[in-house]
Amino acid sequence: MVYLDYAASTPVDPGVLEAMTAAMTVQGNYANPSSTHSAGRESVEMIARAAEQAASLLNTNPDRLVWTSGATESDNLAIFGAAHYRSDRGRHIVTMRTEHKAVTDPFSQLAKQGFDVTWLDAEPDGRLNIDTLSGALRDDTQFVSVMHVNNETGTIQDIAAIGEQCRERDIIFHVDAAQSCGKLPIDLSELPVDLMSMTAHKFYGPKGIGALYIAERKGVHVEPLLFGGGQQRRLRPGTLPTQQIVGFGATAQLAASRMNADLTHLSALRERFWAGIKDVPGVMINGSLEHSFPGILNVSVEDIEGESLLLALEPLCVATGSACNSKTQEPSYVLRALGRSDELAQSAIRFSFGRPTTEAEVDTAIRLYRDGITRLHRLAPGQAA
Amino acid sequence: MNDDPYSELVRDLFAQPAHAGAIDGAVTAHVDDQGVRIRLYAELEGGIVSKLRFQAWACPHVIAAAEAFCADFEGRPAADLLEFSSSDLMKSLAVPVEKTGRILVLEDAVRSLGNAACGASKPDTEED
Repeated sequence: MVYLDYAASTPVDPGVLEAMTAAMTVQGNYANPSSTHSAGRESVEMIARAAEQAASLLNTNPDRLVWTSGATESDNLAIFGAAHYRSDRGRHIVTMRTEHKAVTDPFSQLAKQGFDVTWLDAEPDGRLNIDTLSGALRDDTQFVSVMHVNNETGTIQDIAAIGEQCRERDIIFHVDAAQSCGKLPIDLSELPVDLMSMTAHKFYGPKGIGALYIAERKGVHVEPLLFGGGQQRRLRPGTLPTQQIVGFGATAQLAASRMNADLTHLSALRERFWAGIKDVPGVMINGSLEHSFPGILNVSVEDIEGESLLLALEPLCVATGSACNSKTQEPSYVLRALGRSDELAQSAIRFSFGRPTTEAEVDTAIRLYRDGITRLHRLAPGQAA
Repeated sequence: MNDDPYSELVRDLFAQPAHAGAIDGAVTAHVDDQGVRIRLYAELEGGIVSKLRFQAWACPHVIAAAEAFCADFEGRPAADLLEFSSSDLMKSLAVPVEKTGRILVLEDAVRSLGNAACGASKPDTEED
């Protein structure tokens, strides 16, 4: 097996696992952080340390982070929470057609509740044209959501420029950073971002833990989605999962120390992979190499049936679309939004590289991709006469 | 929870399609529908299908079904092609019901091949 699906999930770093274990076994401290006894207070301290580690990665205050179950919950809390909190200001909300389902589905739901949604188109390289954004903003616009790194193509949005547009109009700006947190430098003390969603399992942490950053700025607030306790200032009640949060913190600390090395490693791997397949007839990049996260390369190829290609590539573990909707076998709506035909979108394969990926694995992927394409091209008939 | 969409048989037939390819000068049928392109080739000897080959631009289930069809129908009378039904293949290959339309494209191609084969073999019979 060669795993090149690190955009879907990553392995937990052994050091992170060790830190988590200390927060869940009898040898460590497994107490409920809501308990007032000494063990409970120790759990509170462990969570506080994790918040410091996460905040340090993002250059923000630990008090600004709300723990969630992952990016999907963070997105939902941000979108529903802010939209409802600010609904007296206006009911116009804006996002892109190329967002993750964790954003597009809440927006569709808000549309059913009477919100007016503008769906912005991306440029062919996947990026948002700032003029397109500014042309869509109105006096009653109260919320904009644009992801940092696209989960399918790796396209990096200029969140600083987008945020500036929003700040000028006092519009809340939410960023889904599931694919960028811990992988790209993010300085929340500088960026004009009001809400940011994160998840640990995309950057070598455990599944089931995420965070929502809420900026300390007038008018920025979210209404809770859950009720039933006083934890986390009632924004997200429920017993805090100490070991998960400790895992997030340790993951963040490790990411901060390894980010430059990781980016260098990923850039070299992607360059090697693209050099190995770019002469395959009909192959093309979805998105661009220039404005994208180096851990992701999404390629389509002409006249190839995508489902067969995926099976022909085994034992490569890669994705046809995002892992969240790959079971539908439908062409990616993200690639369709970038102007790809159904056939090209269906032939798209997302290769995503990670910290453990080796050059030998990349070379294996090159060979399997080339062989698979050759085999399927030979198998295919020409067009009917 | 994460069910393998392909049976072992589908995986085997897809990986080793012994009947993939073309036959020069053979009777052919081509169908392009439902996002599937299939071309079938039949070589006939005295009204018998002596050799079958296929080419396909299709999902693994259709490729496996085409391979299974070819393996099954070599050596049988050309007229049998007209009776081909995909329902047995659907069962033996455990094809998901949502792919029924694609497998029916194979059925259309086989019937078309049957018509072409029977038409091709008829003049020879009359001459005899």
